[in-house]
Amino acid sequence: MSDFIAKFQQDFIESDRYLYLLRGLGNTLLIAALAVILGIVLGFLVAIIRSTHDKHGGLNILNFICKVYLTIWRGTPTMVQLLIMYYIILVALDNKILVAVIAFGLNSAAYVAEIVRSGIMSVDEGQFEAGRSLGLNYTQTMRLIILPQAFKNVLPALANEFITLLKETSISGYIAIPDLTKGGDIIRSQTYDAFLPLFGVAVIYLVLVMILTAGVHKLETRLRTNER
Amino acid sequence: MSDNKNVLIEVRDLCKSFDHVNVLNGISTTISQGEVVAIIGPSGCGKSTFLRSMNLLEKPTSGSILFEGTDITDSSVDINKMRQKIGMVFQQFNLFPNHTVKGNIMLAPVQTGLMTKEEASKRADELLVRVGLSDKADVYPAMLSGGQKQRIAIARALAMNPDVMLFDEPTSALDPEMVGEVLEIMKELARDGMTMVVVTHEMGFAREVASRVMFINEGQIQEENTPKEFFSHPENPRLCEFLSKVL
Repeated sequence: MSDFIAKFQQDFIESDRYLYLLRGLGNTLLIAALAVILGIVLGFLVAIIRSTHDKHGGLNILNFICKVYLTIWRGTPTMVQLLIMYYIILVALDNKILVAVIAFGLNSAAYVAEIVRSGIMSVDEGQFEAGRSLGLNYTQTMRLIILPQAFKNVLPALANEFITLLKETSISGYIAIPDLTKGGDIIRSQTYDAFLPLFGVAVIYLVLVMILTAGVHKLETRLRTNER
Repeated sequence: MSDNKNVLIEVRDLCKSFDHVNVLNGISTTISQGEVVAIIGPSGCGKSTFLRSMNLLEKPTSGSILFEGTDITDSSVDINKMRQKIGMVFQQFNLFPNHTVKGNIMLAPVQTGLMTKEEASKRADELLVRVGLSDKADVYPAMLSGGQKQRIAIARALAMNPDVMLFDEPTSALDPEMVGEVLEIMKELARDGMTMVVVTHEMGFAREVASRVMFINEGQIQEENTPKEFFSHPENPRLCEFLSKVL
């Protein structure tokens, strides 16, 4: 027991080493949050283009661009994408956090797009016809009738995607961002104790995911009270 | 054509094919203000496609549809403006599950700029009284029975103050005991002078309420007449056969 306390002291208290985890957590949350926003905005856009094309034709060029994007981003590892962004495409950008946000956001958007598209396609065609028959235009029908229902249908799948994204940011250390994972690893390299820092990091991720899951569950319940 | 009758819709040689299957083979007719036209026919005959063409939910392959003198098949026409004057009621109700009953009724008038929120709210209250569902204003559609849903769907279409109402088999998805309440509201509408085009299997409604009954078969109007003549002296052999099965 006294050994554990001594290790704990050494790993987290001495030289304020807990700050590695705290600052790392801050970076992890910042990257994940901004990447989620980018993922949602871009993902919805791609989904709307793709489903508009699928259902009503048109938008051929945009649809083609979206398909190429989806194929490439879903077909290559996230880490390779991150490294390519950092060392090649965004080499002129010297804000590493921003590079990570763009890399993870673009990656996530590809998955969000397909999730949301499946949600849009799952809404009954009659909903669309009812909206249009009342004189609403395409955009109004999408915004007021189709997308809210689609969003509700795919919320569990979206939550899953964001949990994955949060954990995937743990590779940010590869472009030398001191994120949560890197923070634990720095402590390990200084104290030569792997157990506490790495389990500590794991527990923090776990708690984050549990909070996220609980939040989504609450949102789901609230959206569902309207319609059984 | 006969301008003195106040023609609302004029259909000229309407054709529609899906993947080389001809569903409508040249339909021409006129519908005047205040008329109640019942369309009957065997399933797959094209009667729903014909009805859905009248607000361009189906795009005709050829032919034209003049609504209040404007050819709505012309791509330069703002179809959204036209549809605001053409109410439609669907077999499957298609209420918006993410809006309350009153929200369903108010949505289009407010969003299209036809009414302010206050005006739309007042109109919705009036319509809810008219369809006898004032107590359901704030519930969501999932809480309603089929008959109630269809009555709300009618109210929703009426909220736009349309010049004509299209009904696509409005009672076919209902339990038998709920058919009456929906037909009753449609009868009232007809009495109030609303122009209506109704695709239906309710021969009683066609006989009692319609001013004209139309028999569509193989994508063509094969017979049309006043209900009295239509049901007592059918001429087309296919219609005779159809009536002998359904009556």
